[in-house]
Amino acid sequence: MHGLPPEFGPVSLDSSMLLLAGYLLKGLVQVNLLGLVLGLLTLPVFFLVLYAAERAVGAVASATGSFPAKLLLIMFRGVRRSPLRSSLTYLALFVLTLVLCLIYAVLHLIGNATAEKEANFKAIVTHKTLIPSQMPPGYLATFRRLCLEELPPDMRPVNGEKDILSWSFVGGTTDKVNPRKDNTLFMFALEPDKVMSMMDGLDDLTGAEKEALAKGLELMGRNKQAIFVSPSRLRAMNLQVGQRVKLHGLNYKDLTGEFEVAGTLPDGKYEGVGFMNVQYLFQALEAYKRDTGAAHPMADKCVNLIWVKLPTKEAFERLAQMVNNPKHFGTVPIKLETASSGIGTWLAAFKDIFWGLKFILVPAMVGIMSLVVANAISISVRERRTEMAVLKVLGFQPRHVMALVLGEALLVGFLAGGMSSLLAWGLLGNFKFQIMFFGAFFVPLVALVYGPLLGMAVSFAGSLGPALSAKDVKVAEVFAKVA
Amino acid sequence: MPAIVRVRDLHKSFTRGTERIDVLRDLTLDVGAGEFLALMGPSGSGKTTLLNLIAGLDTPTAGEISVGENVISEMSESELARWRTRHVGFVFQFYYLLPVLTAYENVELPLLLLPLTREQRRKQVETALDLVGLSNRTDHRPGQLSGGQQQRVGIARAMVTDPTLIVADEPTGDLDTKSADEVLTLMEILRAQLNKTIIMVTHDPKAAARAQRIMHLEKGQLARDTAAIGMAAGR
Repeated sequence: MHGLPPEFGPVSLDSSMLLLAGYLLKGLVQVNLLGLVLGLLTLPVFFLVLYAAERAVGAVASATGSFPAKLLLIMFRGVRRSPLRSSLTYLALFVLTLVLCLIYAVLHLIGNATAEKEANFKAIVTHKTLIPSQMPPGYLATFRRLCLEELPPDMRPVNGEKDILSWSFVGGTTDKVNPRKDNTLFMFALEPDKVMSMMDGLDDLTGAEKEALAKGLELMGRNKQAIFVSPSRLRAMNLQVGQRVKLHGLNYKDLTGEFEVAGTLPDGKYEGVGFMNVQYLFQALEAYKRDTGAAHPMADKCVNLIWVKLPTKEAFERLAQMVNNPKHFGTVPIKLETASSGIGTWLAAFKDIFWGLKFILVPAMVGIMSLVVANAISISVRERRTEMAVLKVLGFQPRHVMALVLGEALLVGFLAGGMSSLLAWGLLGNFKFQIMFFGAFFVPLVALVYGPLLGMAVSFAGSLGPALSAKDVKVAEVFAKVA
Repeated sequence: MPAIVRVRDLHKSFTRGTERIDVLRDLTLDVGAGEFLALMGPSGSGKTTLLNLIAGLDTPTAGEISVGENVISEMSESELARWRTRHVGFVFQFYYLLPVLTAYENVELPLLLLPLTREQRRKQVETALDLVGLSNRTDHRPGQLSGGQQQRVGIARAMVTDPTLIVADEPTGDLDTKSADEVLTLMEILRAQLNKTIIMVTHDPKAAARAQRIMHLEKGQLARDTAAIGMAAGR
C-alpha cells in the first residue's frame, strides 16, 4: 500500500490486513444496520406499492378476465395477507440487495480503476519493492528531464510539466503526546497548480465548486502554509476554515508545521484527508538540516509517488525502459506502471480479502437469505396447505399451485430488490463520496436491473422447495388431516 | 333412474408403517342421475374415502369407478384435475373459501379454468350467487360473511360450472340449525330444479333424511341402503 495506512510508515502486511479485515467487518455490520433501518423506513412504501400494483392488476384482471391476470391478483393478495411475514421477507431481501449493491459498486469501482486506457492515460512511478513507496526527491527532477527532454517529442506529456505530479504523504497531529484519530491529519503534499488537472475526481468538477477550488489552490500557491481539508476531517478535528493549526509530524518525526486552513475540499472528494503545498515540506526539510546540521531521516525518502500523463502506450513503454535503466535511477530501484496496473499492484495485497468477499461472503449472504426466505415461505405454505388442496379440488393443476407460491415470493423479491437498489443508487449518486485516490464511489445504474433480479433469484431459490412441496400436496391426505 | 355413478368392486387400502388398513372392501354401488344420496356411518367407516374416490380426489387400490361416460379410476392426476373442473362440484364442511378473494371471485375460481368469455363467466357467477340468495354480497370477503352465508357461497362455487355431480362432505357440520336447514333446502333445489346428482356425507340423521336415499357404511362395506322418505317425514 503506497503509504496510506494511518501509521504513515512502513507496516507489516499482516497487521495491515488484520486492520483492513477489521474495518471491513465493522463496515459490513454498519451497512447491515443501515440496510435494516432503511428497510424499516421503506416498509410503508413497499406496502403502498404493493397495494397500488394490486389495484392495477385487479383492474386489468376484471377488464380482461384473463386467467394469468387473476392468478397474479391472487398472488398480490397473498403477499398482503400476512403483513408480518411479508415484511420480514422484504427486510431480509432489502438488506441483502443493499449490501450486495455496495459490494458490487466497490468491485465495479476497482474494475474501472484497473481498466487500461489506450490514450492519455496516467502512469505512476513507485519504489520497485518497498511498500509504501519512498523515493529520493532527486528522482523527481530526473524523471522530469526524461519525460520532457529525452522522450521523443511525440511521446512527451502533451501539457509538458503540468502533466507530472508528485505525491508526498504527510501525517501530523495537533497533540504530540497523545496522537489520536480526532487530532491527526493525513495530507497529500503536492504542487497546487496541478491539482485540478492531475487529481482524479477533481478534473471533472464544474461550476461554483470548480471556481472555489481553483481560487483556493491559487492561494495555496502563494501561501505555502495554506492547506485544504475535507469537511468531514475538519469536523472530526474540530477545526474551522481560517483557523491556524500546528501539526507535529508523525512520519516526519521532529518536524512541526504551522498551517492555515484555507478552505475545504469539495464534498465527497478525498474524504478524510487534506492537501498541502509540497514546497512547504521541502522547506521544512531544509530548515531541519540547517538547524541540526544533519539531513532529516526522511529527506531522501520524501517523494512517495510520481504521476505522469502520457499520450500513447508506446510513450509509456519507452519511458518504462528509461525508468528501469539504473543509469538514471541508481540509488533505489523504481518502476513505472500504468495507473491501473499500479492500483492493481496495490490491490494485489488485498486479493485474499476480495476473493473472500466475492466467493465466500457474497455466496454466504445469498445462501443465508435464501434460507430466511425458504423458512418464511415454508411456514406460509404449511399454513395454506388446505387452500392449495382446495385449488386442486377445483381443478387447478399442480403447476398453477406451484406458480402461486413462486409468484408471491418473486413479487416480494422484485420489489425488495428494486427498492433497495434504487435507494442505494439514489443515495450514493447524491453523496458522491470518494475512497482515497479512486474515482467517485457510486452505485452503477445497471444495479437497478441487477437489484430486482437478485431479489427475485434469491426469492426463487428460497421458495422453490416450498413451491414443490405445495405442488405435491395430496388432497385426500390434507382433508383427512383436517377431519 | 339410469345410474350416473357406477362403483364396482372398489377396494381402498392404506399402509401405516408395516400395517395395511383396508378402508373400503369390495364395494359396489350405483347412484342414479338426479339422485340425492346420503352416506352415513361411524367414524372410520370409509364414507369420506368413498366420496373422495368418486370425486376423483384419490385413486382406488382396486376396482372401477365411472361417472357418466368417464372411467375416472384410470385417469392420471392432471386428467382428473381437468375432469373435476367440468364434472364435479364440491361442498366442504369448513367451506374452504379463499380468504383473499371476494364472494364473486371465489365462485368465479373454477370457471377460470374453462374456455369461457368474461361475459359468460359473469353470467354464470351471477346466476349461481342469485340462486343461493347472495347477489347482494358479491364484494364481501369470507371474513365478512356468516358461516351460513359462506357455505352458500361454497354451494354457488360447487354448482357454477354446471357439474354432473355435486359431492358434499358434512356440509352442515359447522352450521347452526337454521343455516343448516337453508343449505339442505338449497341442495334439494339443486336436485329438484337443476336435476343435479348429489352425494352427501353426514353424521346428522336429520340432514340425511333430506336425501332420497341413505347408504350406511360399516367397516368399509355397505351395511344398509334405505330410502329416506320415512325419516324425512319425521323432521
